[in-house]
Amino acid sequence: MSELTVVEPFGDGFVAALGPELMLFAGLLVLILLPNLGRGTFRIPGTQIRLPWLLGGNRFKLTSDPRLPSWIATITLTAAFLNILYIFSEGLDRVAIMTESGKEILLVNGFSRVFELIFFGALALASFSSMNRLAVKGSGSKLSEHELYNNRRQGDFYILMITCALGMSVVALAQDLFVLFIGLELASFSTYVLVAFLKESKAGVESGMKYFIVGSVASGVGLYGLSMLYLWAGSLQFSVLATHFATSGTTALPLIGIGFVLVGFGFKVSAAPFHFAAPDAYAGASSPVAGVLATASKAMGMLGLIRMLLIVAAPESSDGSAVWLICFGALAAVTMTWGNLAALGSQNPKRMLAYSSVAHAGYMLAAITAIGAWNWDAAVAGDAGTAAVAVLTALLFHLVVLVAFKLGAFLVLSVLESEGGASSLSSLGGLAKREPLLAVSMFIFMISLAGVPPMAGFLSKLLVIMAIVRVAVGDMGSEIAAGGAFDVGDFHWVWWLALLMVVNSAISMFYYLRVVVVMFFDQPEEGREGPLPSGWQVRTAILLCVLTTVFVGVAGNGLLELCEMAANSLNYDW
Amino acid sequence: MDDWISLPLVGFPLIASVVLLAFVSNANQATRDRLASPIRMVCLVFSSLLLVVTTGMFFQYFGNVSWEGISFNSYEFDHRYLWIEALGIHWAVGMDALSFPMVWLTTFLLPVTIIATWNEKNGATYFPIVLAMGGALIGVFVSLDLFMFYVFWELTLIPMFFLILMWGGKDRRYASQKFFIYTFTASVIMLLGLITLYFFQDTSNPMIHAGTMTGRTFDIQTITSHALVENSNGNWYLGANIQKVLFVMLMLGFLVKLPAVPFHTWLPDAHVQAPTGGSMLLAGVMLKMGAYGMFRLPLSLFPHALQYFQLTLMIIGMISLVWGAIVCLGQTNLKKMVAYSSVSHMGVIVIGIATMQPMGWAAALFMMFAHGVISPMLFAVCGAFKHHYHSMEIGAMRGMAKHSPWLATSMMFAWMASLGLPLLAGFVAELMVLIALWYMIAAEGWSVLWMVGPALVLAITAAYYLWSMQRTIFEGGDETQPPASLHGEPVPDITDSEKLAMIILAVFTILFGVMPWIALDMMNDWTVQIFEGLILPILGNFNGGA
Repeated sequence: MSELTVVEPFGDGFVAALGPELMLFAGLLVLILLPNLGRGTFRIPGTQIRLPWLLGGNRFKLTSDPRLPSWIATITLTAAFLNILYIFSEGLDRVAIMTESGKEILLVNGFSRVFELIFFGALALASFSSMNRLAVKGSGSKLSEHELYNNRRQGDFYILMITCALGMSVVALAQDLFVLFIGLELASFSTYVLVAFLKESKAGVESGMKYFIVGSVASGVGLYGLSMLYLWAGSLQFSVLATHFATSGTTALPLIGIGFVLVGFGFKVSAAPFHFAAPDAYAGASSPVAGVLATASKAMGMLGLIRMLLIVAAPESSDGSAVWLICFGALAAVTMTWGNLAALGSQNPKRMLAYSSVAHAGYMLAAITAIGAWNWDAAVAGDAGTAAVAVLTALLFHLVVLVAFKLGAFLVLSVLESEGGASSLSSLGGLAKREPLLAVSMFIFMISLAGVPPMAGFLSKLLVIMAIVRVAVGDMGSEIAAGGAFDVGDFHWVWWLALLMVVNSAISMFYYLRVVVVMFFDQPEEGREGPLPSGWQVRTAILLCVLTTVFVGVAGNGLLELCEMAANSLNYDW
Repeated sequence: MDDWISLPLVGFPLIASVVLLAFVSNANQATRDRLASPIRMVCLVFSSLLLVVTTGMFFQYFGNVSWEGISFNSYEFDHRYLWIEALGIHWAVGMDALSFPMVWLTTFLLPVTIIATWNEKNGATYFPIVLAMGGALIGVFVSLDLFMFYVFWELTLIPMFFLILMWGGKDRRYASQKFFIYTFTASVIMLLGLITLYFFQDTSNPMIHAGTMTGRTFDIQTITSHALVENSNGNWYLGANIQKVLFVMLMLGFLVKLPAVPFHTWLPDAHVQAPTGGSMLLAGVMLKMGAYGMFRLPLSLFPHALQYFQLTLMIIGMISLVWGAIVCLGQTNLKKMVAYSSVSHMGVIVIGIATMQPMGWAAALFMMFAHGVISPMLFAVCGAFKHHYHSMEIGAMRGMAKHSPWLATSMMFAWMASLGLPLLAGFVAELMVLIALWYMIAAEGWSVLWMVGPALVLAITAAYYLWSMQRTIFEGGDETQPPASLHGEPVPDITDSEKLAMIILAVFTILFGVMPWIALDMMNDWTVQIFEGLILPILGNFNGGA
């Protein structure tokens, strides 16, 4: 690990450290300006002199192209994504952005960069494939008023995508709970509007409202918790909170405060019982946006949970386990079971995917629980740090590959949506006959979600289960070799979470397989026998997702090592 | 090139089938129909080449590899390539006398299946899927890495799922899902067992092939060698209770696949709905995966637990044997009857294991092999009934031997082979299991009542097989009764390709019945090696060994 460099805001090295973020910012400015360029003129008041002003007026042919905003957003996000990959390949510098008074605001390290990889990747794919979703005809002055209006809204859509990415990257980098909160709100507000973007449809408005109301209540509760933490510690710096927690963490005030903050993140990861808005939001939003909610937004919430639980409320080294251990174990069990059972009964593929996303949140919570339990018994726990790194690696890996197959599944639904709806399972009927490659892609996404080898989803689920079992069993193997005798009762109880997790994967097989059967067995709906609407962008995005899913499943070592490096760079204090 | 397994036996079939499927996926129906014939030919040639390779291995053409005298836990043709370094996962392949017969059987059944189902509809996609099935099955048998083993174990589900879903009978939708979910559920529990086993490795001593991140390895050879390690306090590598838990979790996966009563309910549905080719591979090889897995993992890793659960296994085996046979008596559908008879025969394997005699284990191994040759013929006959008469109802027809002597002869031969006629392959295995059982009764003081089940089943098996034959191909004298489903059309006989497949299967059934030592010698040797190398050193001379 390289040395930590300290940089002041806008000081030397600031631009170099925050390259991808500034890239997004530049893209945002271009996105606001470029589509508005036209033959507009500015009349100097009191004269007849008109100066060419270039903003507004009759737009140029190129700048009025409705696809322009989408291209700008896609290129910006992809450039930021590739930039991070480049940074990884060049070797990462750890940079902390600190104020003059020594307050750490942002920290650039492998951990935050991997999360940005998730955010930018998901948003780039979503904005690329959204290009096919609005029927756009003609350009410039040939458009009717209504069409023009629609095209102008294209700009807003992609501006929100980029602000969302910016907010998320702030969450990834933040070292101060308040900065994190600002990033969280920026990203959240962008997603609220994105969900409600189809305001002409009843479902769009309804889902947007639900998502907004529940989300803002969650944020409000989180903010309240923040204020309690500030009251207790006098600072919202993670490092200050952590040191405070180590001395007086188990008193009522910080525990309640942390609990409230966790509610805010719990909503983002759609953990039960804060998941009620998720199925409605996913069903009403356009599919790529729903895909972003299920991947990038969830990763953001998970990031918040990890920071709060592992940095601030770190597992104590003396008595072995974290204060929140039991609570999170129960939450994980309830979340995964609830999500899977609810998914069994849903006939709407988007709601089904939403509930499956709840179930996946449960698996990830189980992994976090395992970290909380890492040194439950000093005799067999082994090297605690490595066990925690194993769990974190599994979590990161899962979040990264989730982008490929979860978003991919939503993109397949997106193609059907452009045809006229994907709100019932039967709309997938006969997909194998209509477009075999699309059906095979969906099949791969489904079995990957269920965790069937050799897909990426299998490897990630395997890693999570392995990490939990590793914590539960500890170093019993070595202890036995050294002469100890162990029994099944000596397993830590998180082992049962792993068992619950495999049972849940078996349950989830029902509804994933149902989608496959509908695609390969049922006949198409009436009037939907013909070929699907064209659109090479969304198909390219799906193809990328399929290739990633299969490639990572077969050769996941590189990504695994990347995630391990990132997990190592999370600075734990325990 | 000296790696004769990775690419020739596993990689090429899988790659070829993916390429062929990709090739036809976007073609329209007319093009697909036109392509069906050449693709079938490609698949036949390809699978025959696999057979050539494995047969060459048997005749020691590829290096001087003898399948006998391989000591326990060492493998021939073994190769190991790093796969996922962080977790200690390798692409590790190799064969011993346990896996080689199964690999040969798979490569033998592939071309036979293709010949027997020569005219299957949508051939352009059907034959590549059959080929993929073969590659995945071979992958299971040659894996020497737990991760790789599990990957192929699950991979076999996918082609079989599509075979049933796309080419199956009326209720194929239900049957394919039940098949997939049932076996998937059992396998994920097995997976948790494998992972728990993985973490019970001693990391204090540097381990070969260990992962950089975990310090442990998925390598089967390394893990198996650990089963023999005793620690300073005289405790075994795994504590007795932990062994039991892991044994149960692993066995659950294998017993469902086998399947043994009470986990057998997916099998009749899957078999009845599956197309003929699917049934042939399902009964011929896929069920054997369960038995193979038992021998490869729990039996080689947890001898103490095996001893503890000996009685349980014996009971499960007896129940499967008897229950499967009794249910056969009540079946009116030929294919369902054959499916339940498979359950009964798989019970014989479990009994053979539970005797804990070298003779019993060798018998179980030979049963796997013999049933793998015989049962495809049973299902080919059922498929011929379905294909030509559109009916598999016992009692819906009479005196079919008059109209289709070929089908009747094949049926009679297959039925006789399955009920254990001497000089046919099935007899050898059953006889050996009976001897092992007698040995337990005579030398170890088990109750003689344990013989009641097998004795009963010998009679019942003869009854349902003979009875079903009597009511379909015989009886009726001059007044034969073609099935109503033919609607008065002339009664056809089987096609030439079906005849060819039947002849091949019959020849090999006779071959392994008359000269069982071809396969039995290496199986005997494997059992002797595992008993000398593992069971006896660990459990002591607990019951002699026949």
